[in-house]
Amino acid sequence: MDKRYIDKILSKYNEPSGKLLGILEDIQEKEKYLSKEALKYVSEKIGVSFSQIYSIATFYSFFNLQPVGEHIISVCMGTACHVRGAVEILNNIQYLLGVGVDESTEDGKFFLTTEDKHFSVNTARCFGCCSMAPVVRIDDKIYGYVKIKDLPKILKEYGWGKK
Amino acid sequence: MSDKVNVYINSKRYQAIKGEPLLNVARRNRVDIPALCYEESLKPYGACRLCLVDVKEGAKKGLTTSCTLACSEGLSVVTDTDEIKKHRKVLFELYLSQAPSSEKIKDMAARYGVFATRFELKHQENDKLNSKCVLCGLCVRTCNEIMAAGVINFIGRGHNTKINTPYFESSDVCLGCRACLEVCPTKAITIEDRSNIRIMASWSNTEVELKKCAVCGKYYAPERLDEKVDSLFYYKDKDEKLKDMCPECRKKYAAKKHTLIVKGEAEKYAK
Repeated sequence: MDKRYIDKILSKYNEPSGKLLGILEDIQEKEKYLSKEALKYVSEKIGVSFSQIYSIATFYSFFNLQPVGEHIISVCMGTACHVRGAVEILNNIQYLLGVGVDESTEDGKFFLTTEDKHFSVNTARCFGCCSMAPVVRIDDKIYGYVKIKDLPKILKEYGWGKK
Repeated sequence: MSDKVNVYINSKRYQAIKGEPLLNVARRNRVDIPALCYEESLKPYGACRLCLVDVKEGAKKGLTTSCTLACSEGLSVVTDTDEIKKHRKVLFELYLSQAPSSEKIKDMAARYGVFATRFELKHQENDKLNSKCVLCGLCVRTCNEIMAAGVINFIGRGHNTKINTPYFESSDVCLGCRACLEVCPTKAITIEDRSNIRIMASWSNTEVELKKCAVCGKYYAPERLDEKVDSLFYYKDKDEKLKDMCPECRKKYAAKKHTLIVKGEAEKYAK
């Protein structure tokens, strides 16, 4: 972890205690996840207790607390997507990538990373495009009307199955 | 100066201080309103929803939590309508499912006529809070607001919410003050004292060293807590000896010293 870039992020916010979410977002954008050291450092710098910051980081499914793979696949589990088969989509993605089933971490977040650190899979709660259900997001791109048979094609765009 | 106002609970008149929570008035006057998350020394939180009352006059009419309802002149509430009973029943059922091992919750629910729950019991394996936690947040708020330690907090959200230390690792800022246990309405927290160490079993087995009394040799308070109190405490006669004594020995020492001073033999005690 580089403390200098965190200092740089903090200096952007003139009232750091009220801007915690913004700070965490910026750190995640840079590092792709929130490391324990980063959270501790932020806590010392802005005077919000470490437990409080950890609580916030675990509350929002947006934040990753573990190192992530190159591409992040988020499967929407919102109501509309759920009804239109999101669970099946998730199971198939897990099968295709060969990552374990239902290995949620102690903090209750669902997060799986392939062995070669190429893909990470997590679940989300609605991207705001329910009309396109079921929806899968890979990095910043949203895929709507996803069918199970389309999954290999989509994953190949991100270099799946090359090895 | 505090303004006195009249409030009406179940049509009976009570005196209250303007702005204080209505639940406070009810408790002072032994009006029965159940509550799990209320503690006078903390800011009202309104988490447990059990202290529902029906406002008839003086504020926005309808059901609201009495712990967050500020007293004003002419405020009139009813504590036992059919609607409240209905909501309370569901709440108790939810609590029975959330904390199936808690006798306190069972007793409390039984007192309001709820003996069974239609919801699935939430028995968790390896639950550090013994399936007794109702997530009222009192321990979290006490640790943060009163002790200013910030050791524990909520982790996760919704059905999977837990209370523990960050990353479920033993904490190096815990004072070992036991305030969390004192304030817990269901006594869900486990803290053990093993000779010179206090083990916060519920908080990721955080260990805090206890301080030994210089006189009687009893372990009486955690080191870190003692340091913190000492830094705030003002010793009237700046007697350093008092610092390493347990409260019992402190009392004896101070009394003895005082009598000797009265007798004019203070030097005798200077040894």
